[in-house]
Amino acid sequence: MTYISPRSTRKYDLSFARWVHRHINGGDRLAMCMQCGVCSGSCPLGTTMDNGPRKTFMMIRAGMKDDVLQSDTLWNCVSCYNCVVRCPRDVPVAYILHELATVAVREGYVQAKRSATNKFVKGFTWSYKTFGRTDERLVSMFYYFQDGLASGFKKLLAFRHIALGFLKVGRLPFGMPHSLRHRRELRKILAAAAAIEAQPAKGGR
Amino acid sequence: MPESQPRSQIILVVGGGISGITTALEVAETGYDVVILEKAPTLGGRVAQLNRYFPKLCHPTCGLEINFQRIRKNPHVTVFTMSTVAAIHGERGDYTVTVRRTPRYVKPHCTACGDCARVAEMKVQNPFDYGLGDMTAAYLPHEMAFPMRYVIAPQLIGTHEAENVKAACKYNAIDLEEKESTFDLHVGAIVWATGWQPYDATRISPYRYAYLKDVITNVEMERLAANNGPTHGQILCPSNGEFPKNVALVQCAGSRDHNHLPYCSRICCLASMKHAAYLREQYADVRVDIYYIDIRAHDKLEAFYRKIVNDPQVRMIKSKPAEIRIGTAGEPVVCGENTLTRHIYSNSYDLVVLATGMQPSYSMNESLVNLKTDDYGFIVPDADKNGIFSAGVAAGPLDVSMSVQSATAAALKAIQAVI
Repeated sequence: MTYISPRSTRKYDLSFARWVHRHINGGDRLAMCMQCGVCSGSCPLGTTMDNGPRKTFMMIRAGMKDDVLQSDTLWNCVSCYNCVVRCPRDVPVAYILHELATVAVREGYVQAKRSATNKFVKGFTWSYKTFGRTDERLVSMFYYFQDGLASGFKKLLAFRHIALGFLKVGRLPFGMPHSLRHRRELRKILAAAAAIEAQPAKGGR
Repeated sequence: MPESQPRSQIILVVGGGISGITTALEVAETGYDVVILEKAPTLGGRVAQLNRYFPKLCHPTCGLEINFQRIRKNPHVTVFTMSTVAAIHGERGDYTVTVRRTPRYVKPHCTACGDCARVAEMKVQNPFDYGLGDMTAAYLPHEMAFPMRYVIAPQLIGTHEAENVKAACKYNAIDLEEKESTFDLHVGAIVWATGWQPYDATRISPYRYAYLKDVITNVEMERLAANNGPTHGQILCPSNGEFPKNVALVQCAGSRDHNHLPYCSRICCLASMKHAAYLREQYADVRVDIYYIDIRAHDKLEAFYRKIVNDPQVRMIKSKPAEIRIGTAGEPVVCGENTLTRHIYSNSYDLVVLATGMQPSYSMNESLVNLKTDDYGFIVPDADKNGIFSAGVAAGPLDVSMSVQSATAAALKAIQAVI
């Protein structure tokens, strides 16, 4: 998807609502949302989100592009899919939030860049692209040291009890990270996937 | 204009609830012969199971009594209870309907003295109370049963006790040998008034209806509030039999939901308003919270809605609850998001009433007759079967007064088919 959503000129700009309807997978289902609140109520992180999915959807429909893409709701989703299962209107809630998160990163929103989830995802992606596997130790290191050495060590210290616990029960292995045998093949697959993604989407599902 | 003269001018009404009774009486009172088939042992259907009607809060027994009188006095009406349609052949003006009768084991000269029920010891679930209470295996369906005759539950047949029950009847009205029978009716038009069933609340798994005793449905609430119900009209928590102090009424439980019933049943909002009124009448200090997406109190019902909403002890919470959890003391805890304040709540209650919707009985039960239905299972007019009509909730989700209007319309259409 190479689409960049319309640049908003004012707080309420319906061109963004139309863009989501057309270009986000399942975005057309947002028209069916009846604001019942089951998604936000089902969310295990509902109390920590600033807006929650229900309000986010209303904001999309109101065309509040900046407020939607700056929101931490996009980043606090833990993908439990309670909302998707329970939504009485078949709105793919979690999927829409994930895709909006991608949009927020692509369009350079600072809040998205600063988001801890985004930083973690970067480590995760780096690991599977490099080794074809995710190595928890390397992903954690990548995540901890993104903001510099000092803050990295600080975070490491904060989590030392968990690390020691893992070590005790033998869940923290030493040695080289596990790696895929045919990494070159994987790279080809990822390149092909990126090429497909770069093609203009037909919009909708 | 009909192409040919109808072979039969009799009109068959399938279902003896308020819609079926109204259709039959409207037909009969114009002078046409009408036959009512009812699956249950008594007429009255769901209306007989209600405590009161909204918005005037009058008792349905009153209207039913008038209608039963009209049936009794009208020579054009014939009633077959415990009967279902097994097959329909023919066309408009000339149908042959095969009727299957399940045995009642009690002959028509039963005087409803109740001696059989007094000696019967076997208990069976009482369908009239939606299984909230038990009844003896020889029973009168309810005080206003029409016809006023006892019924022997099929579970009793073949047991040693059955002979005792038979011997207890001093009018020799019990026939344990009665078998299922079929017979044919020749009719000119057929009206389906098969009504509805409450949506199965166990299927709404986040609401834990199957696990929490104090989570009940709106039809069960009607029985709890009714004088002839399991608690003799006192609304009590099913788990401990105590007075509820905090009650939640949850709207759209399985309605307007693509995972359950996609449509609005139209009656549940007002039924819950009525339940709030029941509770407030019985308990001066009870607090009632109504969880809703939006309240659908159409046309003249708005006044009743206003009356309830203005009650300081009734709180309206705009939210469809996401879940009902099991609290530390085993009480129901309603969880969700208040969509006006964005507050994530979890509130404990003594009693939670789920406002479940109506599902058309015709589509719920394995029917031997193939009729045209809409996406939701309600019977719609069929050009190929233009002598078959539908009335009441068989045709769409309606309240009682609208069902009666629909029944009158169906009666008129049926008469036009046999004229």
